[in-house]
Amino acid sequence: MSVRHNLRVVRAVAAADIRLTLREPLFAIIGILIPINFLLLFLLFAISGGQAPIAVVLNDRGPLAEQFVQAMGNSSSFIIHPASADDAEREIRAGSIVAVVTVPQGFDAALAAKAPIDIPVEVNNLNVDFTNDIRRAIPLSITSFYANAFPQQVVVTARESDVQPQDTGYIPYLAVSIMVAGLMLASLLQGSVNTARDYELGTAKELALAPVSRLTIGVGKVLGAAALATASALLLLVVVVLFIGVRPLHPLEVLGFGLLILAAFLAIGVLVGTLVRRRQQAIPLSIAAVLPLFFLSGPFGPANWLGTVPGAIAAASPLTYAIAAFQHAFHGYQTSPQGLTADAIVLAAFSVVAVALAAFAFGRRGARQ
Amino acid sequence: MTEPAIELTGLTKRFGSFTAVDGLSLSVERGEIFGLLGPNGSGKTTTIDMISGLSRPTSGSITVLGTDVLTDPRKIRRSLGTVPQENALYEELTAEANLKFHADLFEVPRKGLDQKITALLELAQLQERRKSRVSTFSGGMKRRLALVRAMLHEPELLYFDEPTLGVDVQSRHDLWDRILELKARGTTVLITSNYLEEANALCDRLAIIDRGRLVALDSPSRLRHSFGDTVLEMRTHPTPGEDIVRRVTALPGVVSAIASDGSLKVTVEGGADVTGKVVTEVVGWTSLQEIQSREPSLDEVFLSLTGKELRE
Repeated sequence: MSVRHNLRVVRAVAAADIRLTLREPLFAIIGILIPINFLLLFLLFAISGGQAPIAVVLNDRGPLAEQFVQAMGNSSSFIIHPASADDAEREIRAGSIVAVVTVPQGFDAALAAKAPIDIPVEVNNLNVDFTNDIRRAIPLSITSFYANAFPQQVVVTARESDVQPQDTGYIPYLAVSIMVAGLMLASLLQGSVNTARDYELGTAKELALAPVSRLTIGVGKVLGAAALATASALLLLVVVVLFIGVRPLHPLEVLGFGLLILAAFLAIGVLVGTLVRRRQQAIPLSIAAVLPLFFLSGPFGPANWLGTVPGAIAAASPLTYAIAAFQHAFHGYQTSPQGLTADAIVLAAFSVVAVALAAFAFGRRGARQ
Repeated sequence: MTEPAIELTGLTKRFGSFTAVDGLSLSVERGEIFGLLGPNGSGKTTTIDMISGLSRPTSGSITVLGTDVLTDPRKIRRSLGTVPQENALYEELTAEANLKFHADLFEVPRKGLDQKITALLELAQLQERRKSRVSTFSGGMKRRLALVRAMLHEPELLYFDEPTLGVDVQSRHDLWDRILELKARGTTVLITSNYLEEANALCDRLAIIDRGRLVALDSPSRLRHSFGDTVLEMRTHPTPGEDIVRRVTALPGVVSAIASDGSLKVTVEGGADVTGKVVTEVVGWTSLQEIQSREPSLDEVFLSLTGKELRE
């Protein structure tokens, strides 16, 4: 079989898959929207879980009282809004805030007189995570306020030196990780759905009986699925860049590693589609595969911070290398000890193995419905 | 001497402890229409999968058009056209798109492809629906399109699975004509069917397999006559009892006799003389109200060879 015939088959299989996908708008929409939904869901989770909403009842309008509230605001632990005592009480009873912090009348005068001050903190302790945030952050805010207001009295200070040239917020870091998971999900969905469709229609037989190698068919299916997965990837990129404000420092790395991630997981998608042979099973299976792999691949910080056992699992996950590579592409730092070249080699090798596995599985299962 | 289109020798396929095909040996001559018949689960599909190179035999050999399937399956697929039972068409694509996709898979030259598609679609009376989505086609049209697709790369051997399953009478006869045209052009046609009238109308030779084994192989006419020359269907009153059936069966030239619900069916060999003796015996014991004489059907041969119990 000539190279020209191989290329003709790859093109034909890819073009047929693209046309069929476009003629089934429901599956196309699912393929594009589920990864975006995944991104938004996790970001909302991160945003809502990151800072506790609290009300501050300011019964003293003196400069020191104002400075104390400012120190609380700078702690990055609260979303603060001022309220009257009655309103704050109503809000905490309604469950719309986690705590009410009351700055008492005579705050400034008591400080000037070096008299003890009680700051009432009413906490809705139904969620221990938020409760502990309040318990940690209020004393830290007091310390921070004291160091700023009375620097001569606080003689122990930390001198920080940074490894990275810039700070990266939790949300920008997480957004990049979630974007990689979204790419994985888009690829898995599209690859598996396109392949399962051939079994549902019985057209897997037409492909299996063609005088071409299974690898050629597999490459064609990967490219066909890549079209919609790329559309989904671009949409993810738009959301991350325009709405979250995370811009890539190395756009070419985003392109290169993005293509590697697409290729690897599209091939795994083709493999999944070959094994389950039904779209109804392929979709939930793809979603179910992404979630545990995402959490095991260092989405919230470098994978080697996870500890021995989770770290070992992360090292075996291709998503770990993809997240590390994308963190470098967006933020410019290396989150894993292996380096970018190793990330690229691992992802490329994974792609090749995945395509070969998909071709092997298709060859073994052939046209059997 | 020309080698056969298909030659199976001791073909066996096992799935664990289950033997789907058990030492099957037969050959299909070039240019003939050959029918592979058998009840559900008899091993037909497994045999065809092995012939197409989709499944490897556990033992035995398969030669298709002079090439060992295990050595060069792709060469065989290039010479093999397939019309699967489920058509395997992309229903959301047009007829033309389906054919062009097949042309790409089978490396049909692009030069002259449009004219070739036009000619084949005209032959199948589908040219007017060339740009229509297949999902809008009737069952018969889909079947004809699947046949056109299988013919597009001009295969030497064409496999047709249940050629007329689910199509109306007109489409059935039209498809039969097209299969006979293929034979006239020298194409070898292998069909599998549960519809024995179809096998009778089309096939030069039939192989009946059951539980993976070959149980009969001959022309439809010879197979029918191996079951007897004549079937006598007699309506009687009352229904003949076991003793009458036993007496009739004992007559020379009687192959079988079955009584049921006011009738007696007797298969005989030996012409009018045997028929006369049967009638004389029957009227001596019961009232004969009507008698019909006909040739044995392929259904009767099939049931006698494979049994009447239902297969899943």
